[in-house]
This record gives sequence, structure tokens and C-alpha cells, in this order.
Amino acid sequence: MNNKIENSIQDIISDPELNEQLKKLVLERVGAMPDSLGMSIGSKEFTKKDALRHVEQGDDTGKQIMEMELEFIRGLASGAVYSYE
Amino acid sequence: MSKSILVTRPDHDLITKYFYAWSQEIIDIAKNKNVVVFDLKGKKSNKKEFMSYVNKRCPSIVFLNGHGSATIFTGYENQTLIDSNTVLKNSIIYARSCEVGQKLGLNLIENGAKTFIGYNRKFFCGYTPEKITKPLEDKIASLFLEPSNLVVSTLLKNNKAGEAYNRSKQQMYKNFRKMVSSTATFEEKYSARWLWSNLTSQVLFGNPLATL
Repeated sequence: MNNKIENSIQDIISDPELNEQLKKLVLERVGAMPDSLGMSIGSKEFTKKDALRHVEQGDDTGKQIMEMELEFIRGLASGAVYSYE
Repeated sequence: MSKSILVTRPDHDLITKYFYAWSQEIIDIAKNKNVVVFDLKGKKSNKKEFMSYVNKRCPSIVFLNGHGSATIFTGYENQTLIDSNTVLKNSIIYARSCEVGQKLGLNLIENGAKTFIGYNRKFFCGYTPEKITKPLEDKIASLFLEPSNLVVSTLLKNNKAGEAYNRSKQQMYKNFRKMVSSTATFEEKYSARWLWSNLTSQVLFGNPLATL
């Protein structure tokens, strides 16, 4: 099941139109990140400003943030986050 | 042979400094349980020291803190410690790092490890910028690192690897629910999505019944 979700995220990111829609959504969501919070992904740490720049540029880090956001939105939409087992 | 744990904990960047500090709790628990501790801290997290302890001491648990990818795990200053040819025979391994659970964890099982627990995507951690010099006082980071520590502390209490994996995930979910509740701070609510990613990317390979 996880593979299906991950493939689907890759499909979205590799489709220019869908990718652009997702990027807009993720930029809005990252824009809501509090300035008093830091984010570490692997060896890199980010402020809100850094995260926005990576998503805007669509680099590897930006894609990782987009994947994470999409997966979380899907978890919210499916109800998985409310009934995780 | 006496029970032992090998801990790698480099401290060359922000997140490894956090891992370093939070690993101390595990070292203290191990010592209290009379488990022999091999502590590769800071610069000692290098391949020569690591392989020396692996080959001579055959640690029961290998607790890896550092950076990783699908194919390698690294130590101090991102030197490679583990690749697909590394043999950690009969060890239970927990990798607090990115992506080692994609492929390298399976390689370690194929090479004779009992059990591997890690993450098949990036390991996310929220933190409080004002607390970076005092990682143990960072309440946001604790929401990510306490459940992570639970993997190893559960093993040290003679529970099965599968139980350690499950308890860690249960604690992540408990924290997640707290973080999305009406009583949570804005920082907790926002960073809940990162913990969700860790929760859904934690994997176990090999024998879930293995114990210390």
C-alpha cells in the first residue's frame, strides 16, 4: 500500500501541471510555519524562509518537503491520522 | 558472552548534536542494566573504531546515530561507517537516521544481523532555535526523540525487537495526537506533520522476536 502511495506522489511530482498545483499548495502550508520553529531534514536544518526557497526552486529538499506535505494531507483526507494502528 | 551495546554518536552538526545529547539517556539505562557500553562519541564515530568494536566485541545492539541514505550510513564528518558489505552478525540494529530503511537495512539482515529498525524516508525533527545549545531542554525536539529512544530502551529491558518497534510507533502516535489537540502550542501543531512522516516511515526487517 505504501508503495502505491509513494509511486503516486512521484507521478504527481513528475507531472508539470500537477507539480505546479502541489507547489502552490505547499508554499501556502510552509508559509504558515511559525518563525519560532526549526526543521531538520537529515543533515540540513531550515527556517521557514529556507523551506519556502527550496520548495520554490523545486530542488531535492523542496521535493522532500512536498512529498511530506502531500502524504500528511492524504492522511488527513483518508482519516488515517485519526485512527492509526 | 556479556550483553553489550555499541553506540555511534557524532556531534559535527546541529542534528547530530541533538542525537548525541539524547543518546546519553540510553547509555545510562544500559549501564544501569549492566549492559556493556561501547560509546563511539564525537570523532570516535569513525570506520576504524566502529569496525574494531564490531569485529572484536560483537555487540548485541548497535544503536546508530548519524546521517544515512539508501546505501550508506555515516559517522563523524559524514565518513562512511556502513555500506552494503558491512557485517553486523547477530546484532539488533536501530538506525536513527534518514533512509537506511530503504535498502541498507535489508543488506544488513542478508549479511547476518538479527533485526533492523530504521526509516525508509528522511528523518524529520522539529526543534526550537532558542534551545539549540541545550537540546535536552527542547520540548519540540523531545516529541521526536523520546519515541525514538524508546526503541532502544525497550530492547534494553529485554523485550522483543517487534515490541520495541511497536512501542516506539505507539509513542509517536500518542505524541502526534497531543500535538494536534486543542491544548497544543502552534509550534507543536505545525510540526505534527513531520512526526507523522517519521511514524509512517519506520520499518523493521529481520526477526521481530529477537531479544537482547
